[in-house]
Amino acid sequence: MRGPTVHFSRVNLNLGGTRILEDVTFSIAPGEIHALVGPNGGGKTSLVRSLLGEMPHEGEITIAWQESTILGYVPQALDLDRTLPISVADFMAMISQRRPAFLGMNRQVRESSQHALQRVGLENKSRRKLGDLSGGERQRLMLAQALMPAPALLVLDEPAAGMDEAGETLLERLLVESAQAGTTVLWIAHDLGQVRRIAHGVTCLNRTVQFHGRATELLTNERVRAAFGLQALRAQEVAELTP
Amino acid sequence: MNEVYEAIRQTLQAGAHAQTLPEMFQYGFVANALLCGLLIGPLLGGIGTMVVVKRMAFFSQAIGNAAMTGVGIGVLLGESVAAPYYSMFGFCLLFGLLLNYTRNHTKLTQDTLIGVFLAVSLALGSSLLLFVSAKVNTHILEAVLFGSILTVSDTDINVLLAVALLCALVGLPLFNQMLLSSMNPSLARVRGVPVHLLEYVFVVMITLLTVACVKIVGAVLVEALLLIPAAAARNLISSVRGFVLTSIVLSTVSCLAGIYIPMRWDLAVPSGGAIILIAAMFFLLTTVARAVFGRFREARA
Repeated sequence: MRGPTVHFSRVNLNLGGTRILEDVTFSIAPGEIHALVGPNGGGKTSLVRSLLGEMPHEGEITIAWQESTILGYVPQALDLDRTLPISVADFMAMISQRRPAFLGMNRQVRESSQHALQRVGLENKSRRKLGDLSGGERQRLMLAQALMPAPALLVLDEPAAGMDEAGETLLERLLVESAQAGTTVLWIAHDLGQVRRIAHGVTCLNRTVQFHGRATELLTNERVRAAFGLQALRAQEVAELTP
Repeated sequence: MNEVYEAIRQTLQAGAHAQTLPEMFQYGFVANALLCGLLIGPLLGGIGTMVVVKRMAFFSQAIGNAAMTGVGIGVLLGESVAAPYYSMFGFCLLFGLLLNYTRNHTKLTQDTLIGVFLAVSLALGSSLLLFVSAKVNTHILEAVLFGSILTVSDTDINVLLAVALLCALVGLPLFNQMLLSSMNPSLARVRGVPVHLLEYVFVVMITLLTVACVKIVGAVLVEALLLIPAAAARNLISSVRGFVLTSIVLSTVSCLAGIYIPMRWDLAVPSGGAIILIAAMFFLLTTVARAVFGRFREARA
């Protein structure tokens, strides 16, 4: 599979008189893991939602699809009514078949959803109610659904929120595997250590693009301090990030 | 279809004469009422699960109130008092679509907006109904508000059957998509679900359903039957399958018992009231069960 190139060209977004994004221009190469970093409120989620066509942005966002146009999406922490009687298996049925979830899964869907749950380590929780999953487990489920069917473009909005260390390692492995299979990955990340480990490209966004380029070269002490504001990072974190 | 209803009625009457069935089955209206119960039970129970998930109980209450206005308009326009379906369908559809459109295009919170619509529809409906019932028959008001199962005609059953079929044909293939879009609209859109369109489809479904059930359950009580069985089921269940099936069973049992018990013991209560009271009893039982068993489960864990 070959993932698409994604190109943001002079993207502007105004919401309620506030300028959220200004003149955002950068590209993501096919098959690369591209991290979007920046301070809270810097417009990362808004940019992703513009990409998904959910924001009234100006400028151009092009996804140059190759053979597959499948888009996988991991939303920011799924907020839901905890009392909803929907199990993990129901959720998988819901997203992958037309037959109403209450009539059960057909065999093919059962196999593929079991496989997807295995990949994220939730194979023994398929009968668990969504509301009874921990935050990290819910994020794993969101990962599982985004990988089913295998996407050409994978967009993740802070997928590691609420995940434990094992979850974070799993996330890194799945992103690397996806990129190796050709998937283009756009990933809103908050853990810069993770970004340094697996991302190819990185864009730092704080209303405007602060910097953009190769992850290993760009995440230097000065740049990170400047982009996030010196106060935002503890000295220890900065030390971890810089080579 | 009327021949089919007639055949059912005659079979039940024969059973009553042969004393294999209770005596009340010799009356045609009893058979009609039970047929209706068998139709609306599964229908309201099934769609009610979606109403609960989408938190649209208040919305459907507003549609129920609009049905009163629909009846009033129908009588004014010269439709039959017993079946002013054109006006009811027309007005309620307009009302439901306008409410949903406004909901999508306003910054008001949902409960404020629906509260206003609900109040207006109640005021308009009651004024109009009292106005026309002074001219026609004072019992209309009672029948529209709380249901009047004894007067169900073949036309009413036909309307109900048509709406039931339509809801099943449209609702079943869209069930998963509707559920997903109410859980996370962004995720649904990414997966190609037309979220806004489905919202309107669902509003139309509840509207048709409400109008078709006014005769049996009553305008102010339809919403309760959409809400209570599903809410009762949710108390106990942790899977979609159990949720939908339990809600359907509770709703159907409530409908049949709510129709049968007042007739069997000659109680002068409206069918709608009896149906809802029985459903509410289920809700109470499941709530207590949840509290008790939930505590056991927590203690074990």
